[in-house]
Parts: sequence; structure tokens; C-alpha cells
Amino acid sequence: MTPSETEQLKNRIRRLRFEHGEITQQELAERVGVARQTIIALEAGKYAPSLVLAFRLAAAFGVKMEDVFQWESE
Amino acid sequence: MKDSIPLAPLQKLAWFNLAVFAAVVVLYSAAVPLLAWYFHKSLAVAAVPALGLFGICGLWGFGSYFLYDRRCRSRVKLDEREALIQQRAAMIGMALFWEVFVFSCMGVWAVLSYVRHQTTLPVGFLPGLVFAGMIIFTVTQSIAILVQFKRSGSDDAL
Repeated sequence: MTPSETEQLKNRIRRLRFEHGEITQQELAERVGVARQTIIALEAGKYAPSLVLAFRLAAAFGVKMEDVFQWESE
Repeated sequence: MKDSIPLAPLQKLAWFNLAVFAAVVVLYSAAVPLLAWYFHKSLAVAAVPALGLFGICGLWGFGSYFLYDRRCRSRVKLDEREALIQQRAAMIGMALFWEVFVFSCMGVWAVLSYVRHQTTLPVGFLPGLVFAGMIIFTVTQSIAILVQFKRSGSDDAL
């Protein structure tokens, strides 16, 4: 995925963290099995996750994947 | 409020590799004049045996310790993004190694054949070149790892 495509992939991870009991980046990272830096990169929109990680994140918040990630077409 | 983020295992590995390399460079820089003074040789002559200090780079082999999960030693603790960073860094390191290796080989053959009219290479040339190439590979890979971590927003912690 190119940098411009990564910018088109928006996510609500930070908002969902606060809506779900203000869980920390570290707690979320442990729940989905990644490093905290990966959660930071995701929230900053600098990393596009694999499909598996995207499903794990959605499952961690108990929502559908499209509630976490949105594709903004040009 | 920002808090500090512990280094990722891959970052620890990269810093370890660079620290070992920096230590070797410092030791080498100190050893050359010391050997020249002690054995009453020129700096150019002393520079060759001092190259043995680069054998300390063998410590890099212990760097993989940072990548293994202490709870389950058979498992490498890299997530998908870190694995991608490592893959890219290795590709950059390999590209640079290959450029240096091939151009050095071509350069030496050209010099030996056309300038000195020799048909054989000095026996120490190839292993020395491979060793130098692997140092270039590891150092480049380590720098590329740290740059990628920096670029992908590790400083944006909450």
C-alpha cells in the first residue's frame, strides 16, 4: 500500500479506545497481539493493518470492521 | 500528556548493532596509532593488523536475543508491522551490500588486469570483501530500522 493510499484509510481507533472505558494503547496492543508502537502508527494513519489485524481490532471493541476503518475515496 | 514508549525489540536490536559497530570503530581508531608507535611502523602498515578488531562484530550474533519471547523461547516477538520494517530494512541493506560488493570486485579486477597486468586476486581479498559487505549490510539495516520506526509515528504517544 502506497503512502497516499494509507492516508485514504481512516480509522476511529483513538475514539473507540476512549468510548470503551479509556483503554490505553498498551492495553489495546496486548488485546490484539501487537506492539504499542503499531497502535500508535495506526492511530496516526501511518500504517495500514493486515485484514487479520483489522478484524482483531474490531473484535477487541466489539464492533464491525467498517465501524473501525473507513476508506475515503478521492 | 506524553509518556515514554519502551523500545521495540527490533529497535533494541538495531541500537545494539550500531553500538557494537561504534565501539569497534573507536577501538580501531585508537589501535592503529598505538600499534604504529609500539612496533615502530607507519600508520598504513599498522592499519592492516588492527583490522582484526572488527572480529568483535561477531557479537552481532547475540542480537537475536532481543527478538525472542522470554516466556516462549521458540517464538519471535515481532508483530506484522515490525516484520515489514525488518523486511524493508534487510532489502535496503542487501541492495547496498550488493552494489559495494559488485563494484569492488569489478574495480579490483579492472585495476589488476589492465593496470598491473595480473590475472590472480590476492587470497585475502574475497573474504575481506564479504566481511566488509556484511558489516555494510548490518549497519545499513540497523539504520533503516531506526529511521522507519521514527517515520511511522512512534513519537505520537498518548
